[in-house]
Formats: sequence, structure tokens, C-alpha cells
Amino acid sequence: MKVSILIKTIGFYAALACVFLGSCTKGKTNYEAERGEVIEENNEFKEVSNVVTSAYTVSIEALNGVLYRGYNDIRVRIKNTQTNTPVEVSGLTFLPIKTTVMGEKSSCPNQYHFGYKSADKYFSGYTVFTSESGTEGSWALYINFTVGNQTFSLIKEVAVRQQTNKNLNMTVFRGKDDEQYVIALIAPRKPNVAENKLVAGIYKLNRMLDSAAKGPADQLQFSYSQVERYTLKLDPRMPEPSMGNHSSPNNRDLIQDKDGLYHGVVNYTMTGNWTLNFILLNPEGKVIRGTEVPKDFTPGVEGRKSELHLDILF
Amino acid sequence: MKKLSLVLFILSLGLDVNGQIAPVKRDTTRRLGEVKVDATVKRKIENDMKMAVSVDEFLASSDNISFIKRGAYAWEPLLNNMSTERSTITIDGMHIFGACTDKMDPITSYVETNNLSSIDIKSGQEGNMHGATVAGSIDLKRRSTPFGLQQKVGGAYQTGFEFNNKQAFNLGNLFYSTDNFVADGSIAFRKAGNYYDGNNKEVLHSQYNKLNASLGLAYKTSPLSAIRVDAIFDRAKDVGFPALPMDLWLSRAIITSASYKQLFEEGLVKVWDTKVYFNAVEHYMDDTTRPENLVHMDMPGWSTTYGLVSKINLKKDRYSSEVQFNAYDNLSIAEMRMYPQDRSKQTMFAYSWPWVTTRFASIAMNNSWEISERSKVNLGGSLGWNYNYSKYVEFNWIFHPGASQKKNRWLPGLHASYELSLNQFDISLGTGFGHRAPSVSEAYGYYIYNSFDRYDYIGNPDLKNEISYEGNASVGFKTEKLSIAAKVNYFYINNYIIGRILSLGSPMNYQSVGVKGYTSLKYATLFNTAINVDYKILDNLHWKGVLTYARGKDDEGGNLPFIRPLSYQTSLHYGYKRLGLRTSLNGDFAQTNYSPAYGEDQTASYKIWNLSADYSFSLGKFKSVFQVGAENLLNEYYSTYADWGNIPRMGRNIFTSLKVNF
Ligand SMILES: [Cu+2]
Repeated sequence: MKVSILIKTIGFYAALACVFLGSCTKGKTNYEAERGEVIEENNEFKEVSNVVTSAYTVSIEALNGVLYRGYNDIRVRIKNTQTNTPVEVSGLTFLPIKTTVMGEKSSCPNQYHFGYKSADKYFSGYTVFTSESGTEGSWALYINFTVGNQTFSLIKEVAVRQQTNKNLNMTVFRGKDDEQYVIALIAPRKPNVAENKLVAGIYKLNRMLDSAAKGPADQLQFSYSQVERYTLKLDPRMPEPSMGNHSSPNNRDLIQDKDGLYHGVVNYTMTGNWTLNFILLNPEGKVIRGTEVPKDFTPGVEGRKSELHLDILF
Repeated sequence: MKKLSLVLFILSLGLDVNGQIAPVKRDTTRRLGEVKVDATVKRKIENDMKMAVSVDEFLASSDNISFIKRGAYAWEPLLNNMSTERSTITIDGMHIFGACTDKMDPITSYVETNNLSSIDIKSGQEGNMHGATVAGSIDLKRRSTPFGLQQKVGGAYQTGFEFNNKQAFNLGNLFYSTDNFVADGSIAFRKAGNYYDGNNKEVLHSQYNKLNASLGLAYKTSPLSAIRVDAIFDRAKDVGFPALPMDLWLSRAIITSASYKQLFEEGLVKVWDTKVYFNAVEHYMDDTTRPENLVHMDMPGWSTTYGLVSKINLKKDRYSSEVQFNAYDNLSIAEMRMYPQDRSKQTMFAYSWPWVTTRFASIAMNNSWEISERSKVNLGGSLGWNYNYSKYVEFNWIFHPGASQKKNRWLPGLHASYELSLNQFDISLGTGFGHRAPSVSEAYGYYIYNSFDRYDYIGNPDLKNEISYEGNASVGFKTEKLSIAAKVNYFYINNYIIGRILSLGSPMNYQSVGVKGYTSLKYATLFNTAINVDYKILDNLHWKGVLTYARGKDDEGGNLPFIRPLSYQTSLHYGYKRLGLRTSLNGDFAQTNYSPAYGEDQTASYKIWNLSADYSFSLGKFKSVFQVGAENLLNEYYSTYADWGNIPRMGRNIFTSLKVNF
């Protein structure tokens, strides 16, 4: 009899503990999901578009199968249309050209000569689309490739969409040196409340060399070039008034690495809206664009932004 | 005699092996009151003034406890003028960790006076039985009814009302005791409104509402062994913290344990007691009651602990020893979500405790030898292992790039003391050495807003162990009528952990003025002293006085914060037949050694005069006591050195209570 009381008691407590264990009044935040809410994972290359000729099928791939305004990694695969096997291609050039309703043509920062990844049998390069397809103009890709000693050319119109991931934002501006620049964010695609490696491409519009050149590709391929040995000074802050111009420690300015891109460090102390305030310096240390922002903590006041900045949200 | 001492010993541990040795029991129960249990200070849950006190009020009457007060509820106990990171606070040896980054929930807030039997306070390294410590230990001992009481069913009911903050409380406890089965239950409700300060001004957000219930069941498995299961449930709801920018919406704790106790009549080992435990705390703060706040924030916290504590008591002739093994695993989580003014925009989220696991195991031993009738030597030591793991260590890396995600620490501790009785004098001398690991907040805290100095605090996972060297001494003198005791202790603490202004980053909480990082001072020193005097003026007229003084300095000679200035408590008790009259005066002198660097300003002196009367009577066959009294009779407007944000304390408070024992 007494033993049964005992067993009942233990049972009672076990039940009590179980009920409590599984029942917090408010649920804990699922942190992994929290970050995924805004930024969907899109690190898979999918086909954007393809061009089929009698001999070859040219397939253009980008992350998520979509071309966005801003920086895009692009892959091109060329297959034999009949056998559906990769073709030995000795070189490939890639040039996006925007045509406005007025018929004006322009290009954007772009890798003209794509590199060949022999292991996976595709060409890879990048393009920074400076606008979305729409009223501003439409984009077409001009692709040339060489098989044996024969060169094939094709033109394919593509749609460039709005980049919803603000971490891959970009900006076009005119510097104090009267040159036009493009800064495009490349990484992190999915930031953390952490130290994040910040990567950006910085490009400059070259002045037209020779307006009397032959084809559009001949001059437009040189329209932009990567800037060399510049510095992009960084001051990340939360613009929300209640955050009082909050910033983070241990950030590093972006400087050019061997890959030509600009690398730095940004620390995000919490999720939400952030502004990356920049100052672009040329190799001589002269300010091309950007202003210092106030550093004081000013609760209730929306943070002032640099004239050169990018807004981030995660 | 041998048997008697064994029973004494057992009684002191709360389990009575009745039955065979019933005749001895009555004798020893009476004697127990006079026996000073080795080196521990056991006290009834009552203070000089009130019979119906809260746990905090009870602790406040101890001379080495002071409090940081953030409101009327859940005061943070400071032992030897050191904050809770430096002491181990346990319930029956069980480790529990609060789930609030703002320290709204010290462990003492999860119990009620009617489920406690006593509180053991040990100073310094003597307190390392339960785990590594610097300041000492506070163990809250639960009530446990012995087997085979003559009165099978009994209990007490206590009710009362306090007029200042309209606090109404109802406390009840019941027991059932047979030869081999015991049940203990208690339930307590307290509800209080805002209190009024000495200028009769309402202190907004100082209300509270608490429910505490406990149940314990014990079963005697053999004449010398028993098992016991216990649970405490505590719920605090709608608790205001006037000194903080937010209040508590809800806090719940469940504290459970199952223990097995085996006694041995023969041999060296006398008692073996093992307990497994589990407790979970959830804590949700609320700022919607503060429309002045610029930002709406959600700050929930959770703390879950599993543990084991096992101890044996050894005794042979003049040697006695206690060996204790502790192990626990705790997971502390605290979140912070800020809502932008435009609620349609995305919220901002961060962890203030990024899922921090603490695992701890220690083996501790305390030995004492009675060298002669008059002198005794105590020697003890402990070795602890502390492991921390931060799941989202990237939060910690923002301020401390590359800091370790996992951290192992070894925490040794040693203490020795010598006690001597010479005629009317009792003298003791002691010394100790011990390490402690940084707390979760100190190591992994992330933008924890401290409304006292208005800084956001950042933890550092690679802080060094704090190492304490202490010395203590006491002298007591006793005659029939008079007893005087003087105690001093001195701590020299290497790598003293404290927040220092960081030139990095900027605040996250809009009220704050900057960011502080927990860093180690090279050293800090702390000196505490207390003098207690008891004088029996007449048989029914007693006078008591306590004087305490403390001084804390950092490595540059600056003052440490939260060090109590010279303070006193004095009380007079007069008993006449069934009537008892008490009056007391207590206060602090002006705080001259305050620390502006840590957000303190000078606090003026104050004195509080209290008065109470109680009357014992029989209600049918039940023994009852009625008490009425007033605290702060002169309605003095004051705040103490440790009142967060200098919030004023309660003005005149008239209290009444009735206790019925059955
Ligand atoms: Cu809290």
C-alpha cells in the first residue's frame, strides 16, 4: 500500500516536471528562422535563360535563376544541342547592354572575358546591373564564343529584377572628381549578428574613348573598370530614431584584395535596419564622395546618413 | 551518549529516525535549541520586529547581508558587501539561476517564509561546500517535518495586512506525519499595491503579486533510510520595479528534487544524502506600463538547471567531516527584441544571453577536530570544474573577436580556522583562498542595461578567474546577562571583475549613456566588521545592538560601489505575560566613501524607528499570536546607499498579522 503511494508520488512529480518542461508561457525565438525570414537562402545556380541554335545550346545561369539589379555571379554553359554534352569552347565574352526607349545604349560593370572552369565545364564571370528592366530600358546579353576557330555570336534579352535582399544593395554616384562610380555589395548575402566579412565591388565609368567606333560591343566593353587601390571607409549605424544612432565596434574599412574586390569587416549588433555609411578615398587619400556622420548617441533622433551610404536590412 | 549525539546529528539534518528511540527524542528536541550546530548560523525565520516577515526582511536582519533594492520586491542580497555573482545561493543545496539579466529575480525571491525552516549563511571560503565562491554561501533550508510526530496533522495559518502599500498576505502550511510517511505542504499569497514614501508620495510601479506553493513527500524505506520528493512552484505577476525602466509581467519557477537519505548507526560514515534536482525559471519583462519609454522592448529570459548533490557525514571520536559532491548543468537564455516606432517595420533582435550553458562539478570537504575541550581546528577544501559554452558565440565576438566558445576553468578553494574557548571568551581565527568563475552576464552578457550607472554591459568570455585571499577573526564574550561578539574579515581579491567604460561601440538601450565591458581590476580589497551586543537587562527585558562597517577599495585606492556605510540596528524587547513589546531603531550614517566612477552619489544618513506589540492567546485549542506595529514610525523620507536610482524607501507602514498554529 505504502509503496503504491510512493509510486504515485513519483509519478505525480514526473508528470509535473514534464508539463512544465514542455510549456513555457512564451516561446523562445527560433534564431535560425529569425534571420531566414527576410533573406531566403538562394545560393543555388539555376538557369535564367537559354539560347538554342541548331548546333549549340547556350544556358545562362545565376543564383536562384534570377538576374538582379546589383552584383550577380553568372555562369554560362554551352552544350551540343544534338548530344546534350558540353562542348570544347576556347573563349567566351559576355556583355550586357541596356537600351533605353530613346535607343541609347550603355553597359554596366562587367567581366567581359569569362573564365573557364574546366572541372565543371562552365564559364564564369560577374555583372553589376545598374538598373532593373522596365521603363528605364531593357537589358540584352551579347555573348560571343569560339569553338575551334569559328566564332559564334548571340544576343539574348533578359529581365533584371529588383534585388529584395538589401544586403546586396548597390549605388551609382558622381564623385568629386566628376567621375561616375558604382559600388555594389557582394557579401555577406545573409549577415549574422556577428562580425561579418563585407565585400564590395567598386567601379568607375570610363569616359567614352572613341564615339566613332564600329560595333557597340567594341566600346561598351570598356565602359567600366574596377578602381584600383582606393579605400572605402565604413561606419555602420542603425538609423531607427529609437536606436539613437547606434553603432558597432571593431569594424574595418574596405581595402582592395588580390581578387580586385574590396574587403572589410562589419559588425551587426542586432537584426534590423542598418546603414553602411561610406567615405570613398582615392589612392592619394582624397575624398571622392561621402561625409562623416555624427558619432554621438542621440536617442529619439533618426541617425544622419553619409551622402554615400547603403541601407541594409536583415 | 553516543546514540544521543547521533540523534542530535540526525535531527540537525532534518530527518528524524524515530520509532525505536522515541524516549530520547523529546529530550533532544528540547536540547537542540541550545546546541549550536557546527559553524553554521541557523536562525528562525523572524526578525526582531515582525513575526510575519518576507524572506528579504528576514535576511536583512543578518549583520553580513545588505541589499540592492530595485523596488519593494525581490531584493538582491549582498553577502559581505559582495553582489550575488560572488556568493552561492542555494535552496537545500540546489543551484538555481535567475532568468533575468537585470537581476529582478534573486534566488531568494523563489521561496516563501512558510516553506523555509532556516537560512544558513556562511562567510567566505567556509561557504564553498556548495560550489566555488568568494563572498560565501546562503543556503535556504526548506521545512521538512520529522517522521512519527505525536501530532499527526498540524500546521499554521498566518494572515496580515500592511497599510502603507495595502499588502495583504495569507500563508498556510500543513503537515501530516506518520511513522513512515510524511507530507508537507504550504501555500502563500501576497498582493501589494504601490507604496508611499516619507513624503506620502506614491512610488509608482512598486506593486507586486506573488503566489508560492510547495509540497514535500517523504517515505521511510527502512528504519535508517528515507526518500523524499519536493517541489516548489512560484509565480510572481505584475511586479513593479520603480528603479528600472521596465516591470515584470510574469515570472514562474518550478523547483523539484528527489532525495535519498541513509543513516548509519555504526562506523565512520553517519549519513549519506543524495539528491537529484531539476528547476526551470521563466521570466518576462514588460514595458507597456511605461508609456514614457521611447522603444517598446520584449525581454524574456529562461534558465533551466539539472543537478545532483550528494554528501556524506563522517564522525569518529573528536573528528567530524562532511564531504559533498555537486554537479549541475544550467542553460541561460535571454532575448531582447526592440520594436521600431513604425510597428510595420522589422523588429530588432539580439540575445543578451546567447544560450549559455554552464556545467559545474565540485568535490568539497570540511573537517573539524576537537583538539581539546576548548579548542577546535577546521580545515576544508574544494575543487571545482566550471565549463561554459556559448551557442551563439558570434554575439560575443563582436566585442571580443576570437573569444573562446568553450571555456574550462579549475576552481580550487581552501580554508582553515581555529576556534578557542577561554572561560567566557570565544576566539576564532581563520583564513581562506578560493577561485570563482565569472557569471553568465560577466562572461557572455550582451548589451545588458544597468539602470544604476546607465551603461550597457558587455561580458568577456576570457575573463580570468577571480581569486580571493581572506582572513577573518572573531572574539566573543559571554556572561549570564551580556554577550558581545566582534567579527572582522578582510578580502584581497585578484582579478576583481567589474564594469569599465569601453571606448568601443555605442549603447543599444536608449536610456543608456555608454558601453561598459566587464574587466578585471588587478585587485580589490574589502573589509567588513560587525559588533553584536545582547544584554538581558531584566529577565523579560532584552536589548540588542549591531554595528557594522565596511570598506571596499579598487587597485587605485578608489571606492568600490555598493559598500554599506557605518550602520546600526538596535532593539529592545519587553515581555509581560502574554504581551510582547518591541521597539527598534536602525539606520546608516552618511555614505562618505561612495564611488562616482560606478554611478554612485553620496547618500545621506537616515534613521528608522519601529514599534510593535504582540499578544499570544488561545483560539479554542489553537495557539495564536496577534501582532500590530509600525515601521518607519516617524515617516522619514530616505533612500539608502544601495537603492537603485535613489528611489525613496517606504514611509510609515502600519502592519498587522495573526498567526494560528494548529
Ligand atoms: Cu527582469
